Amino acid sequence: MARLSLIVLITIIPFISTLCSSFSPENPTDRRILVLLDDLALQSSHSLYFSSLQSRGYALDFKLADDSKIGLQRYGQYLYDGLILFCPSIDRFGGSIDSAAIVDFVDSGHDLIIAVDNSASERIREIATECGVDFDDAPVLFQGMGHSLNPANSLVLKALSASSSAYSANPKTKLSNPPSLTGSAISLVSVVQARNNARVLIAGSLSMFSNRFFRSGVQKAGSSIKHAKSGNEQFLTELSKWVFHERGHLKAVNVRHHKVGETDEPAMYRINDDLEYAVEIYEWSGKSWEPYVANDVQVQFYMMSPYVLKTLSTDQKGLYFTAFKVPDVYGVFQFKVEYQQLGYTSLSLSKQIPVRPFRHNEYERFLTAAFPYYGASFSMMAGFFIFTFAYLYNK
Amino acid sequence: MGKSSATKDAQALFQSLRSAYAATPTNLKIIDLYVMFAVFTAVIQVVYMAIVGSFPFNSFLSGVLSGVGTAVLAVCLRIQVNKENKEFKDLPPERAFADFVLCNLVLHLVIMNFLG
Repeated sequence: MARLSLIVLITIIPFISTLCSSFSPENPTDRRILVLLDDLALQSSHSLYFSSLQSRGYALDFKLADDSKIGLQRYGQYLYDGLILFCPSIDRFGGSIDSAAIVDFVDSGHDLIIAVDNSASERIREIATECGVDFDDAPVLFQGMGHSLNPANSLVLKALSASSSAYSANPKTKLSNPPSLTGSAISLVSVVQARNNARVLIAGSLSMFSNRFFRSGVQKAGSSIKHAKSGNEQFLTELSKWVFHERGHLKAVNVRHHKVGETDEPAMYRINDDLEYAVEIYEWSGKSWEPYVANDVQVQFYMMSPYVLKTLSTDQKGLYFTAFKVPDVYGVFQFKVEYQQLGYTSLSLSKQIPVRPFRHNEYERFLTAAFPYYGASFSMMAGFFIFTFAYLYNK
Repeated sequence: MGKSSATKDAQALFQSLRSAYAATPTNLKIIDLYVMFAVFTAVIQVVYMAIVGSFPFNSFLSGVLSGVGTAVLAVCLRIQVNKENKEFKDLPPERAFADFVLCNLVLHLVIMNFLG
């Protein structure tokens, strides 16, 4: 009996580890997601969206936002990989969650989806402002709120912006002042990728996630073609794949460098050595790591500033490589790959390597170009010898 | 008229210089010849460097400095052994020559180390 339970335990261990290891480097897709709702009725009115997430393997944990027992972490460990805030009117989160805890959650590399409605509470605005998004006070079409992006924040960008003839104002009140937000400056859905690769989606509309909007037909203004189904489902599904790291996640492995003609990595290079550098970059497809193919990955040979900047060649199978000559400067250098591609996680690799000058016995000797100098020096010595005799015996 | 008189003046100047120099003791003339040889060697190397570039720069420096250094030491010797120079009248010419030889040995030791 004890033996049987041991066998059971051993068979379970790998599953336990898969359950525990969320967001591992080997499998970057989020697994456990906390969904905070204003009203549990949203669970059924937005069921299409939630079931599409569940069908892709996410474990959704639905909680009321003011539930007193909710918490993002326990004993310093995060319980969730991702957070969905479908609670635009919440004034005060329950349990140990507050806006600082949510910002910390993102700061530690976790992902976040925020959707608001015609109203957005101070808490939600605060979190959105932290992410570089300011909600305008007036609802626009698509039933929700437009927002503007902080221009100083280069990490946030528009996934869906309003048409160039749109303006942001409350349709129910009289428009006395010109609207502050107009045209494509109005963002309807924004995405942020933080420097730690945490991803945040901020949508100005909670209804766009609802079953009603998923199923409703749509007709473009001024066009007679009627679409039986709106694009919301596809749009939001693809966005959620991106936010929860099913797509656009890169990893770089196997950084190698060596002298041309050798295979071992040296502890140090000499100035003017010829070296080869290689790195493998893979993209997460949601199930497996596929080779990442691009022609704009660059490596820097860096000491305070890049001395060498080379675009890496690729074999289309994930291997990126190049060869270059170490500059005629010695010091402590770094191999750096800083790859920031829109929509992909940023890669930031650096590997330190010292570069030494020639050793005393490594300099070239007896250069042809220097023969006149050698000749001159020796002739001066011979001249000194002859002069001595001429001077002493000239009587 | 003016041109030929200028040439005549120059000729007269050289004549007087040459006759004055003829009175110089032989040992000083030998030193002068030696200095000219050293300076000429240095100038040739500078011209050569200007043509082929400064690549073995240490070799260039040691070659030129051996010429210049030799010339400077020889000039120092000439000042010290010149009988008309009252400043060094207490210094025996043997002592001056010994100093010259020692300095040359040091100079060529440094040149050889820097040449390679």
